Order: sequence, then C-alpha cells, then structure tokens
Amino acid sequence: MTNDSAIDRLQSASGRLFIAAVAFLTLVVLAGFGLFAPASTPGQIFWVLASKSTLSSTLRLSVPIVLAALGGIFAEKSGVINIGLEGLLIISAFAAIFGADVTGSLWLGFLVGIVASTLLAGVFAIVCIEFRADQIIAGLAVWLIALGLAPFASQVFYGGPNTSSVGTFDTITVPALADIPFFGALFDASPAVYIMFAAVAASWYVLNRTTFGRWVRAAGENPKALDTAGVDVSRVRYVAVLLSGVLSGMGGAALAINIGQFSGNGPTMVNGKGFIAIVAYLFGNYNPVGALLSTTLFAGLEAIQIRFQSGDILAIPNSLVQTIPFIAVIVVLALVGKTRLPEAAGDHYESGEE
Amino acid sequence: MEQAVHLDGITKRFPGVVANDDVDLAVEKGTVHALLGENGAGKTTLMNVLYGLYQPTEGTVTVHGDEKQFHSPRDAIDEGVGMIHQHFMLVDPMTVTENITLGNEPRKWLGLTVDREQSRQQVRELSERYGFDVDPDARIEDVGVGVQQRVEILKALYRGADVLILDEPTAVLTPQEVQDLFRVLEELTDQGKTIIFITHKLGEAMEAADEITVLREGKNVGTVPADDITREELAEMMVGREVLLDLDREPAEPGRPVLDVEDLVVEDDRGVRAVDGISLEVRAGEVLGIAGVDGNGQSELVEAITGLQLPDEGTITYDGVDRTTDSRRERIEAGMAYIPEDRQERGLVMDFDLVENGLLGSQHAADYTSNGRIDWDYTRDHAEEIIEEYDVRPPNADAHAKSLSGGNQQKFVVGREFARDPRLVVASHPTRGVDVGSMEFIHDRINALREAGRAVLLISSNLDEVQSLSDRLAVIYEGEIIDIVDPERVTEEQLGLLMAGQQPDAVPTIAADGEGQQ
Repeated sequence: MTNDSAIDRLQSASGRLFIAAVAFLTLVVLAGFGLFAPASTPGQIFWVLASKSTLSSTLRLSVPIVLAALGGIFAEKSGVINIGLEGLLIISAFAAIFGADVTGSLWLGFLVGIVASTLLAGVFAIVCIEFRADQIIAGLAVWLIALGLAPFASQVFYGGPNTSSVGTFDTITVPALADIPFFGALFDASPAVYIMFAAVAASWYVLNRTTFGRWVRAAGENPKALDTAGVDVSRVRYVAVLLSGVLSGMGGAALAINIGQFSGNGPTMVNGKGFIAIVAYLFGNYNPVGALLSTTLFAGLEAIQIRFQSGDILAIPNSLVQTIPFIAVIVVLALVGKTRLPEAAGDHYESGEE
Repeated sequence: MEQAVHLDGITKRFPGVVANDDVDLAVEKGTVHALLGENGAGKTTLMNVLYGLYQPTEGTVTVHGDEKQFHSPRDAIDEGVGMIHQHFMLVDPMTVTENITLGNEPRKWLGLTVDREQSRQQVRELSERYGFDVDPDARIEDVGVGVQQRVEILKALYRGADVLILDEPTAVLTPQEVQDLFRVLEELTDQGKTIIFITHKLGEAMEAADEITVLREGKNVGTVPADDITREELAEMMVGREVLLDLDREPAEPGRPVLDVEDLVVEDDRGVRAVDGISLEVRAGEVLGIAGVDGNGQSELVEAITGLQLPDEGTITYDGVDRTTDSRRERIEAGMAYIPEDRQERGLVMDFDLVENGLLGSQHAADYTSNGRIDWDYTRDHAEEIIEEYDVRPPNADAHAKSLSGGNQQKFVVGREFARDPRLVVASHPTRGVDVGSMEFIHDRINALREAGRAVLLISSNLDEVQSLSDRLAVIYEGEIIDIVDPERVTEEQLGLLMAGQQPDAVPTIAADGEGQQ
C-alpha cells in the first residue's frame, strides 16, 4: 500500500510532466516556423497562438470553467461529488441577467446569480447530506432542473429562450502594462478575469493553510477521523457544497454578463462548461492552481479553434476543427492516468454509525 | 494506589441483547490493565461506555475519583479518556502532524489559519517526551501500521488523555511491532498514564498487563494479577470450560507427495521477485507450516499455488499433474481448497447471505446446479450443514456475512473449504483475529484432515500455531525458504533468527520424509 501510493503519485506526476514537455516542444517548433517561415502553415499557427487576442479570449473562456472547477474541488474534497456544476452555471447565468435587468445594475445581477446558484447548491446539499441521496443522481438532477428551469423562466419573462441584452462589464485596463505583446491581455481584461485569479489564490490558501481547509480534506478522506476529532462532518460538507454554489454562481454570472445576454437554446450558453470544469479539476488533481492551468489549456485550444475556423489556416473542414479541444481532453486524460479521488468521495456519513 | 477508572455495576442492554451484565472494573493509575475475552464477550461495548459512545443502562463511571456522565466521546476526551480503535481513524494523504492536530489545530491570524510551525513543534515535543520514533512530516500512507498506531496514541495524548483505551491493538501488528508497542505502553505507564487494552490473546495479556480482567458473555469472570496465573487457567476463565491449548496427536505418516513446487518465482506488481526460487513439497497426511514475518512472499506464494496469480518461473505439480498455468476453477475442481488470509476481502462476499457464500467456488459443480441453473435447495442444505457442523453463530443461513463476528465468519469459510473434501488445503492465517474457542476448533479440524490423509499447507505469522500444527516447518524470508525445521525441537529464539534471515547454529532440520536430522 505504502509503495503503491508513492508510485501512483510518481506516475501521475510524470504523466503531467510529459504533457507539459510535449506542449513546450511543440511550441518551440512552432515558434521556429513563426520566426523563420511566417507564411507557412505552422508559422501561421504560431502567430495565431502568440496573438494577444488569443490569450484574451482564452482568459474569457476560462472564467466560468475555472470558477466552477474551484467549486467542484471544495465539494469533492469534502466528500460530496458535485456533478451538477453545469446546472449551477446555467441557473446563475440566467439569474444574473434577470437580476441585472430588474435592478439595472450588472454587479447586483452578478450577486443575484451567485445567490441563485447557492440556493440550488443548498438544495443539492440537503438532498445528499441530510437525505442521503445518491450524489451522482442528485447532481444530474441539479443539471436537468437548471436546464429546464432557466429557459422556461426566460420564456416566461422574455417570451423566448434568449433574454434581452443588459450590457457587459467594462474591461479594466492597466496603462502601459496592457501594451505588452501577448501578456498584455492579462492587464486588459474584464473584472471577472481578475475575480477568477483572486478566487484561485484564495481557494488554494483556504484548502491548504486554514483549519477549515484541513477539515474539508479530512471529511473527504476519512470522515470518521474528523468526527472522532470532534468536528461535525455534515457541517463541513454543507459549507463546502454551498461554497461550490457560490463559486459556480460567480462563474455562471460572469459568463452571461460577459455576453450581456442569456441564451437558452439547446444546451444553453453554458454548453458543457460545467462538465469540462470537472475534467479540469481532475486533471489539476484537485489543486486550484492545477485546475487553472488545465482550464487554460482547454480554453486556449478552444480559442485557437475559433480562430482557425475564421482564419482558413488549416485546410480541413470546420466541423473537424471544432473537435480539437475535445480530442485534446481525451488525450490528456489518457496520459495523466490515475487521479487519486478522495477516499470517501461519494459516501454518506452519519456520526455514530459503524 | 489511586484508581484511575472505576466502572461500577455497568449494565448495557441493546434490544434483545445484554452486552454487559453488572460489570465492575477498577483500574489502578499508572498500570496496564488487559480486558480479555472471546469475541462477543462485551469487551468493546464496555469500553465504548467508558469512552462515551454508549450510555450505560445501569451503573456508574468514575474517572479519577469523580463520577462522570459522558454523553459523547468529546466529553470523555475532555476528562482525559482517549480511545484508540481497532481500525485507525487517520487521514491517509495527510501528514502525521496534520492528523494529530486535526480538530484541535493551533491557530494564528484571527484563528483562521493553521499555525503549522507550532503544530509541528508540539508534535515533535510530544513524540520525544514518550520516546516515540515518529517523523512529524511523514504522510500516513507512507508509514507502516506500527507507526500509524503510535500516531493514534499521540493523537489521544495530544488531546490530553491520561487514560488510554486500546481496542485489539496487536491485531494488525507483526510480532516485532507488538514488542515495540509493549515498550511504548511501558514508557507511558512510567510517566503516569493508565492503559486499558482489549484483547482476546492470552499471551499478550499475560506479557503486557499488570492486571487482567476476563469477560465472558457480558459478565466479569474475575480480575487477576498477570504474574500469578497460567495460560490454562486464563483460557478456562475465558471459555468457561477446559481448553486444550496443546494438541495431542499421532506422529505424521506422510504418504505420496500431493503438491510439488519447483523453483517458483513470482514477481509482484512492481517487478520485484516476491517469491525467489522456492521449492517445496507437501505430502498426503502431513501439515507443512510456513513461518515468516508478513510480507516476505507468503501471499504471492499462496496466490501462485492457488491459481490467483501466474508464476513467472517454475512449476507447480499437483497430484502428479503439472498445473502451473491451470485456472483457479480447474484447481478447485481438482480438489484444492483455499482459506484466504483476508476473509472479508477474499473469503466472503459481505453483502451475501450464508447460503450464497456457501456456494462460492462450487457454482460450477454438478451437485449445485440443475439444468444450468443453481439448485438453491441443495445450496441451502449445504450452507446449513456447514453452519451446524462448524457451530457458526447465529445459526441462520439467511444472515448476511457482514452481520457475523469475525470468528464466526472464519468458521464458515473454513467449513466451506473443508466441505469440498479437498486433497490439499492451503490455509493462510486460518485463525487470524479469531477467539480462542474458535481457534481450538479450527486447529482440531486441520488435524482431522491430516489424519484423514490430506495434505495441508499452513501459512501463519502466529508462531504458536505453526509450531503446534506443523509436521515440518519452513521459514520464509525475502521470498526464499531459509530452512525447513522440526517444529517440535526448534526453539522460539532460533525461529526468530531464521525469520530475520539469519542462520543460527544447530537448528534441528528435517527431511521431507519426516526424519529428524541434527
């Protein structure tokens, strides 16, 4: 047991290292083409990659995924697998637009989005913790409820699956720094992007340095140990799941306000971002920073994919280009191998039970 | 002497059961007190009352002279009573320090942040004070069971315990770790701590305790000083009748070889040679014992012989037929029975009832099927026969395996395997975690098989067991058979050295035909 776990850790670490190395090498090769043969296909790809707008759309696409992933980390680390992140994003995306529309303030709308998502997460928490429902089924229910409820509410209030427009956040631009090539995108972004970075740092700190974070980890690994140490496991799990609602709420609200409108057609504007978030935190091994990095990988591929579609760089059909991020996700997950799930994730816990 | 704990007239009733019946227990401060009894005698219930997990139906709990009412473990901890459970309550991926301070972390910065430097410092001081060799920064999953147990003890001490209850602390330890634990207990009592440890092992109670209280069927049978009582007297107190600890038996009359293992090599998951060129032979009508510290290749050897893992080199001949690559099913059909070391993992399906569990391994046999479907009537009769013959309690074939005590689970597994009428039995730790009454019973059965001319390969880390049951005793160390000795004449010291990989002088070795050599 002892050695196995050490080997697992090594294997997954080397898998991650391998991916990073391959990505870096590819980048170097592309950069070579970009510098010496800018007109060639790889050269063009490099300049797409290196453009400021690619980074800025990567960041924009990352916001909802990263925030939902952070929420997922808290919930799952505490032992409650929250696969309803998608639903939380959907409900908060609609609620944010609706709130902004009613109050006339984007920030109040943002808050309404968070509240809606937290309420739904609260229902999920009660069903899972108090009533011991299967977490996967309850999570799917959260998704399906939101998937039905948000477009329905839009239909009621706006007469169609799409809401009216409410405007978007103004970008915050840091003078001078914003002019740096490529990285300037970091200093010329929506407030949501800064919120995302702050949330990553705060989540890391809470999980790794505070007593609450330690209890969250213990609740997900061996709740009985936490219980016998005199800490109420259910309470820790409630707080963690509610936090996943708050964080996902910020993500969904930011997503909608970024566009200025909620569109509820088909899979809605969220379109699987909640599920990608699950992949992102698994790939990031439940580390908030890891989740951020893996999300930027996926979001970056998505951004490039969009550019490729419009740029006619690659001589392949657009529908194939669109599959790039998903293929990348599969390849990456296959290479990473095992991510170690918290021991008690998915298990109910009741104090005093054998 | 001051009394650390005094339980007076404790009765604990559960619906339909009286777990403790008017039990008195007085424990002197600064001593080790063993609570001895068979499985189900009410030892753990009594300690759960002291620890606040259960409220007594009647009776009072007095700690350090004051009568207390504990409504939860938290209350008990606050009064300095700590309990180390049989299954450790540790968070594997966390460090030793994080586990010890969990729930009581020293804090800084408005109480939100863990003061990691101070926690580490406190743990180091505590560990040094009691002479524990524990690295505060090691992860629990990277340290051995013995260290994990010390972390559990430190956890209780960190919370200010001065009465420590240990529930079956030796069940998971190797003989060496048991000795380490006893040294730790001595150090703790020297510093004024009081220890109560629950056990069903006579030898350990006599070795480590100052006083022994024996429980039987929920009642206190008596409290005796450990120094002036014999094993036989204790065993009789526990079981309520005379127990034959030493088997009286006929010398072996080994017949033809049933199992012949040649130059067997088995690599483990990591490519390490767990079994490194072992050759051995088990004959009809003899018990070949394999002694060794756990983890020296016993599991891999057993898995190769029983067909759970393919060997990398070597041959396994059974009844004159090369069965090296035979499947598990073919080996069962050839009459090879297997008592696995972990009954809950491999021996039983815990959520199946005994009827279904009794079928396991026989699901293809003609007797148990009719027209391609399972014959449940026959299967039920079979399970009921095992239950009756092996005295499995409760005698209910519809009970789920998980509802049985460990000893009864083990009796059922042994019964099922022996009911196959095997020609070879591979018994891996057949009495691990089993009380003395069931142990005697299982030993009897193994002897009966031997007398019926069957071959038995017995693997156990319990030296008493392998010495008393085996006709020849092989010692395994790092995947090799160091020596095959005469179990009747070898001393425990010599065995200890062999198990540590050394070759002591003048070991009474023994040849395959049972003739002793010097």
